[in-house]
Amino acid sequence: MSSNPAPSGAPLRLEAVRKVYRSGDSEIVAVDHATLTVADGEIVALLGPSGSGKTTLLSIAGGLLTSTEGRVVVGGQDITDRSPRELTEFRRTTVGFVFQSVNLVPFLTAEENLLVVAELSGRSGMSRRDARQRAKELLDELGLGHRAGNLPSQLSGGERQRVAIGRALFNRPALVLFDEPTSALDTKIGEQVMELIQNEMRSRGTAAVIVTHDTRMTHYADRTVRIVDGVLSDDPVAAGHP
Amino acid sequence: MFLALTEMRRAKVRFGLLSGAVGLLVFLILFQQALSTGLINQFIGALRNQSADVLVFNAQARKNLEGSIVLPAQQAAVAQVPGVAEATPLGEGTFTVLAGVDGAAEEQDAVIFGYQLDGPGAPTTLVEGRLPEATGEAVASSRNADEGFGIGDTVTVVPNAGGAEVVFTVVGLAEEINYSVSPTLFTDFAGFEAAKRAVNPDATAVLPSVMAVRVADGADPEEVAAAITAAVEGTEALTRRQAVDGSPGVSAVRQSFSVVLLLFYLVVPLVTGLFFLIVTFQKAGALTLLRAIGSPAGLLVRSLLLQVVVVVLTGSVLAVGLFWLASRGGGGLDISVESGPVLFTVTLVLVLALLTSLAAVRRVLRIDPIAATTGAGVQVG
Ligand SMILES: Nc1ncnc2c1ncn2[C@@H]1O[C@H](COP(=O)(O)OP(=O)(O)OP(=O)(O)O)[C@@H](O)[C@H]1O
Ligand SMILES: [Mg+2]
Repeated sequence: MSSNPAPSGAPLRLEAVRKVYRSGDSEIVAVDHATLTVADGEIVALLGPSGSGKTTLLSIAGGLLTSTEGRVVVGGQDITDRSPRELTEFRRTTVGFVFQSVNLVPFLTAEENLLVVAELSGRSGMSRRDARQRAKELLDELGLGHRAGNLPSQLSGGERQRVAIGRALFNRPALVLFDEPTSALDTKIGEQVMELIQNEMRSRGTAAVIVTHDTRMTHYADRTVRIVDGVLSDDPVAAGHP
Repeated sequence: MFLALTEMRRAKVRFGLLSGAVGLLVFLILFQQALSTGLINQFIGALRNQSADVLVFNAQARKNLEGSIVLPAQQAAVAQVPGVAEATPLGEGTFTVLAGVDGAAEEQDAVIFGYQLDGPGAPTTLVEGRLPEATGEAVASSRNADEGFGIGDTVTVVPNAGGAEVVFTVVGLAEEINYSVSPTLFTDFAGFEAAKRAVNPDATAVLPSVMAVRVADGADPEEVAAAITAAVEGTEALTRRQAVDGSPGVSAVRQSFSVVLLLFYLVVPLVTGLFFLIVTFQKAGALTLLRAIGSPAGLLVRSLLLQVVVVVLTGSVLAVGLFWLASRGGGGLDISVESGPVLFTVTLVLVLALLTSLAAVRRVLRIDPIAATTGAGVQVG
């Protein structure tokens, strides 16, 4: 079902990843020996209660956080031992991220929030013309063509989330990570956004991990993985349609 | 580039106000500097813009021209000091003169300098006409040309009882040769002597206030001055510059102005530094997000510094514009736009503003992109 060849490996492979937060004398094991492989074009829902380690796991996969133990391979690149500088480049070029709270730069329009991705790549990125073209296409596709020139403060919550999805997809990442993309939206809009995510991922054959604590959202995924107290387990019950 | 400029475009009022504030402050700095230079020039322009390398004062005068007389024995001794190529008398005095335009001459104070025509002590900033060539001719301060000191005008020294009128005809104008904020004439020593006798008919001899010294080719005026002071009892020899800086009044003017200037120089960068620190705090959320989606920290720092440069330069353009208007507006304000001091001030302000912005830079560098996942320290904009 995948249309993008990934000869160098699966979009995401976590091997026995462990993350321990140390604060003072106490240690919090946020993720405990998590092993997870996301196949090409696969959409995985990561379901778990608050504080179970979902964001931590996603951050490790996205190069925002380094694991205490284990190996992290994204799109064939082993990022386990990368320096902060190398991780910055990795985030810019290889993954897309939709965050739980703030996703847009307030002083940039919807279109500019997409273009900024190309801007961050500097000269190594695409030409200004190509970038504009791609931003326009993405916004049209997300049903935001007419909102391209609006600032985030002039957009609804659902529209903002759609711009964030466009931003995450802009650089054609191997993997897109969504951290509770619908938690700030009401059910109806939330479902629309999930449907959009599903369509966008499917049409591109892009793999995704979608964090949620809402079981109603899991049917948009190909597979659901549960996390409780940092420990992963497959969830046969909540598995969605392929 | 794009980030920095787009942000400024979206927040025109905020950045505009800052640029305006910087502009006003830079304008005040320029204005203060010009005022102090103008004021100092009105006090001692005559000393600064005359040709003697060294001036020999009476040691008891404490660098004050008004209180100095060089005795004949000292005059002779100065000429003998090694390194002195030429030493000629230079007299200075304040006189009541009759001067004015269109026959409406009125009594006013004027300063007259008398120098030996072919010797050191001549004005160096002639802008019109020529230097005096005979007794009775004088070069006047160009600032007072319209007050009866223009070329062709006659200036009459008002005599005391028993004295004879002395008349000078202005044959040239020189810039910034005022002394003691009065209209000033440079004439030959004989003319000065005649003026002295007009107000003091009983004087036996008219002594020069200082000796004007031209040093030998290649000699260092500072060394020659020191040698004169050491060799000639009761004298204090000063280079032109030392004489200017040491003049009573000048150091006082300089000191009070420099305190004000220092304050301005501190305020501008503090205002900009603080502004950018606040702005950086306010947009911490956006900066964290940008770092999280792969922006190198350096790019954000460069954007910030670019904004500082744009703000300071915009403010400076505004300041120079205001300054130019003020210098043309006149209103008795004696200031002129000179590119040197303006460039110096703008550069200094820019450097200081960049330095104080390091607080904001530090803040940017300390952003941890992981905060984007929690929304910590983030305001939704
Ligand atoms: N920086 C940190 N320092 C110490 N402990 C942390 C830190 N970040 C997270 N934790 C802890 O790690 C555990 C997992 O946190 P995480 O944010 O991954 O949970 P989550 O599943 O995303 O929760 P939620 O659904 O509320 O977003 C929690 O117990 C949390 O308190
Ligand atoms: Mg979370």
